[in-house]
Amino acid sequence: MNDGVYVQLLDLACGALLLTGVLVLWRRELAVIIRVFAAQGVALAALVAVLAAHENSPELWIVAVGLLILRAGVLPLLLARALAAAGPARRETRPLVNVASSLLAAAVLALLAYAVSRPLVALSPSPATQAIPVGITVVLIGFFVLVTRRRALSQLVGFLLMDNGITTVGFLTTSSVGLIVELGVSLDVLLAVLVLRILTARIQESFGDADLDELRELHD
Amino acid sequence: MSALGVVGGVLQPVLIVSFSPVLLGVMRQVRAHLEGRAGAGIAQPWRDLRKLFGKEAITPRGTTEVFRIAPLVLIGTTAVVAVVAPFVTTDSALGSVADLFAVVALLALGTVALALAGLDTATAFGGMGASREMTIIALVEPTLLVAIFALSVRVGSTNLADIVSSTLRDPARTISPVSLLAAVALVVVVVAETGRLPVDNPSTHLELTMVHEAMVLEYAGPDLALVELASAMRLTVFLGLLANLFLPWGIATELTPGALLVGVVALMVKVGLLGMVLAAGEVFMAKLRLFRVPELLAGSFLLALLAVAASFFLA
Amino acid sequence: MNLTALNLTGVGLGAAVVIGVCTALLGLVLPSRARPAAVGVGTALIGAAGVLAGAAALAGRSFTVALPGVLPLSGVEFALDALGGLFVAVTGAVAVAASVFAIGYARSHGLGARGVQVVFPLFVLAMLLVPAAASVGTLLVCWELMALTSLLLVLAEHRQRREVAAAGRWYAVMTHLGFLAILTGLLLFAAHATDDSFTALRQAAQQLPPGVGGAVFVATLIGFGSKAGVVPLHAWLPRAHPEAPSHVSALMSAAMVNLGVYGIIRVGFDLLGFSMLGAGARWWWLLVLGLGAVSAVYGILQAAMSTDLKRLLGYSTTENMGLVLVGLGAAGLFASLGQAALAGLALGAALLHVLNHAAFKSLLFLAAGSVLHATGTRDLDALGGLRTAMPVTTGLFGLGALGASALPPGTAFVSEWLLLQALIHGLPSAGGVTSTAAAIAMPLAVAAVALTAGLAVATFVKAFGVGFLAKPRSAAPEGARESPVAMLAGMGLAGLACVLLALLPTLVVPAVSEASGFVLGGGPALSGELTLRLVGVTGALSPLLLAVALLVAVVLAAGLTRVVTARRRVGVARRSARLWDCGGGPLSARMEYTATSFAEPLQRVFDDVVAPETDVDVDHHEESRYLVRAVEYRRRVPDRIERRLYQPVLGAVAGWGEVGRRLATGSVHRYLGYGFYTVCAAFMLLAVIR
Repeated sequence: MNDGVYVQLLDLACGALLLTGVLVLWRRELAVIIRVFAAQGVALAALVAVLAAHENSPELWIVAVGLLILRAGVLPLLLARALAAAGPARRETRPLVNVASSLLAAAVLALLAYAVSRPLVALSPSPATQAIPVGITVVLIGFFVLVTRRRALSQLVGFLLMDNGITTVGFLTTSSVGLIVELGVSLDVLLAVLVLRILTARIQESFGDADLDELRELHD
Repeated sequence: MSALGVVGGVLQPVLIVSFSPVLLGVMRQVRAHLEGRAGAGIAQPWRDLRKLFGKEAITPRGTTEVFRIAPLVLIGTTAVVAVVAPFVTTDSALGSVADLFAVVALLALGTVALALAGLDTATAFGGMGASREMTIIALVEPTLLVAIFALSVRVGSTNLADIVSSTLRDPARTISPVSLLAAVALVVVVVAETGRLPVDNPSTHLELTMVHEAMVLEYAGPDLALVELASAMRLTVFLGLLANLFLPWGIATELTPGALLVGVVALMVKVGLLGMVLAAGEVFMAKLRLFRVPELLAGSFLLALLAVAASFFLA
Repeated sequence: MNLTALNLTGVGLGAAVVIGVCTALLGLVLPSRARPAAVGVGTALIGAAGVLAGAAALAGRSFTVALPGVLPLSGVEFALDALGGLFVAVTGAVAVAASVFAIGYARSHGLGARGVQVVFPLFVLAMLLVPAAASVGTLLVCWELMALTSLLLVLAEHRQRREVAAAGRWYAVMTHLGFLAILTGLLLFAAHATDDSFTALRQAAQQLPPGVGGAVFVATLIGFGSKAGVVPLHAWLPRAHPEAPSHVSALMSAAMVNLGVYGIIRVGFDLLGFSMLGAGARWWWLLVLGLGAVSAVYGILQAAMSTDLKRLLGYSTTENMGLVLVGLGAAGLFASLGQAALAGLALGAALLHVLNHAAFKSLLFLAAGSVLHATGTRDLDALGGLRTAMPVTTGLFGLGALGASALPPGTAFVSEWLLLQALIHGLPSAGGVTSTAAAIAMPLAVAAVALTAGLAVATFVKAFGVGFLAKPRSAAPEGARESPVAMLAGMGLAGLACVLLALLPTLVVPAVSEASGFVLGGGPALSGELTLRLVGVTGALSPLLLAVALLVAVVLAAGLTRVVTARRRVGVARRSARLWDCGGGPLSARMEYTATSFAEPLQRVFDDVVAPETDVDVDHHEESRYLVRAVEYRRRVPDRIERRLYQPVLGAVAGWGEVGRRLATGSVHRYLGYGFYTVCAAFMLLAVIR
């Protein structure tokens, strides 16, 4: 594929990543958040596919397919099942930081990500590396979601967002992160989701609520 | 292995085996004289040995072959030292064994065998003797090795023949501070290793005061004869080493009958004199409490360490 | 992947890896009846392959292989040279003896479980790979693998005894603290080099600033010294070695602690080599010498006080590693003073002592395992009278004890002789390079070595005499029976090695000279066929001749005695008689000297250092306080360094933990917030700096 199309598709995919990240921050309904997350998975797979087409690397194509299956298929499915079993609460009612402030914070985080990644981009300027700030922004937004949301499910989505961001940065900086590393990370993520699901279910059973702040009562 | 060494290797053990009970007799006679007694005569230890060898051999109930073999190991190690160390001749029959460390370690092996025999008897006395003897050995080793260090630094070797020859070549070294300090330290070591007063009383009959005697309490007959002979040989060997390391004159350096005769006589005279001085000293000393012995040994260690320091600073 | 031509060394290493993995898989799939035998044989084969590889490397055939794909970013590099070959050979030999022993031991001690059997060959394999590592990454990976597998093996019996869990905790924490120290030192070193392979580090050492060199040396000394059991980081040794299964204790004490010594030699002499020449580096080696002397004395003192057989052997390992460090320190000191012959002699003495220690320590631990198997106890105060029931074990333990006490014709006598020769010739008489440091250090080192020699004799007389001779002191040894053949065979192999090293050390002298020559350059420091001769200084010793002379003398004495007593002894066997009991009736076994009472005079002499704790509990009758019903007396000898050094540190850490509790309010969001704020702050800092 020629360079112009490549750059456009790359930027499109990165834009989709960023947009979905912000949407997770904006929307309150848990079902919508999960669907947005699935969309981000698709965007990430598309990004890797674009890179694969540009580099003509079969390995990257395999990774793209794997990412699609895992992050746009398996993980959202698991999250939806957890949501179904979670009880009547369907919305994020009282986040620690309200939505407007969260969006402002996202903007600040984007600026911070841009400032930090300038030296990285300067190392080897190319269309791929210029998109690194997007990846770092997604990481920081994911972290922010993890910190400020009350529902366990939202926090889980935040964690997964961080991972998506890290994977993005990885693929943008070097095209051959290594199959082993990617495999390892994916397995880690899968395991983390499974464990957190079971944990949430148990907390739900024992205390009737998955609101982690209520658990402060248990403090010694 | 020269001819001189071989002759010495044959002459020395025969001499020491036959001479050591006589030395013991002389020492006891000197003590008797000083204490105003008539004494039993110089030949009494040989008469005792003859009596013991003629007795029935006995094994205490419940002991193992460690008990039976220990006297043989004791006398074997002492015999090897008698063959190897320079007593009558400078050259040794087994030159590569005539190392000061090896000799000291062999003598310690003999003591260890006896201690194990003491533990093997399963009596409280045997264990007590073994425990005390091992404590004394553990505290004597540092002094011994540091004194050897002081002696061999000047010579550049720990081979006994080299040390003796070098002292023969350079007689003025004998009165240097290094030699004097090392000699005093080694006298204390000899007293401790051979179990003489003030560390241990060889003629006590009170079990709770025994160190060496407690280990051999169960021996009788020929076994006891071997142990007694070995103890006498150890005393002779230690005094001979002390004599020849510091005052080696008279030792045979060439293979002529005259030199050998002089060597034999010189050894007997030197060892005899040292033994008599030791015996005389014992008359005026009382046995130290066991827990005061470490203080004595620490003092001798300090002297040995000063000897080493002197050998460096007065190089 | 690139490698030098595949020679015997490479074949040996490769075979070891392949057999190791296969044995581990076998341990996973086989049924429990066949598992111990299969894993034992497999691990023995790994050991044999190791010995082959090590011997080939010592014969001059070194082997290099680099596999960049196996580990991300750095790849692995292996290079087996003469120094590494020596340690690989020693580890392999110990592994052979221990695995043969394990065939019988595991079956009867409930150690046939899958976990233990799978991890055991991996442990041996990791120990074989550490000396072959040729880059920082490889060394650290193999080191950590060794630490993890040994931890799992230490915890093997945690269901049977509660102390095993505590021992495992101590071991885990200390080995990982040591790992951190090694990591810090080596990474600091590698940061000044082009990449992390050893060849790059050697080249970088020439331009290393002296402060950095010193920091690297101290950090790696802390890490490797802790693994070697050097004071003050030895606290894990007397806890972990008794609680591990006996064949694992033998491997840990006779093979794993050697790798700490290997690390110090590799980093100090080989990698930092060029910095070593000159007065700046002299203090490193004085530090090593000092640590070695203190460890030797402290270790043997604690061993002399100990009544637990395996704890005694563990502390004895500290002592022997201390002696090895004394040799290393002396070698470094001489090398920095320019006296090459003496440096080679001291290093040769240290390496020979490593070999000798491996032989007799593995024998002693395996024999202790045999005793534990037969009687169920390790307490010397409860043992005794094992000679009649277990003659082979008693004989082999006696051989090991003779070796450990450094008396001729024992195993350690030759290496201690060499060490003392090196120290004695190190003090310059007229002429030669004078150095105040050497003049003060050498006599003190000789005094320390001498003190340990004396105490070692007392300790092993106690261990052998109280544990094996006389009568049983409790019910446990009364039902003892000799161990199965596999265990005896394992002990026999170790005993054979002890005897060979004791009588014919010249068999291994070429190997030791090769290794020390590789490290220091220069010619061999030792030579000779039947007599061990020193090169460059005067000195010779023939242990074979000494042993033969001793044997001849004993046989002659026995013969002469028979001749002299022939008249009386006609046809009458030796009569058995009562023991002397002062006429008060037969002595019971309870009246024998125990290990505690044997060591009591020594404990009194060293009271200030040892500081035992006594508890006396007096139980009175209800009617009157003047009537005593029972008295309970307990005496414990704690590890003083642990008391004085570790407990304040642990207390401080616990105090900080209490203070840190205030940060844990219970809100998950706050915890996550801490992380988020830190990341943002770090990013802002990065953005500003760059």
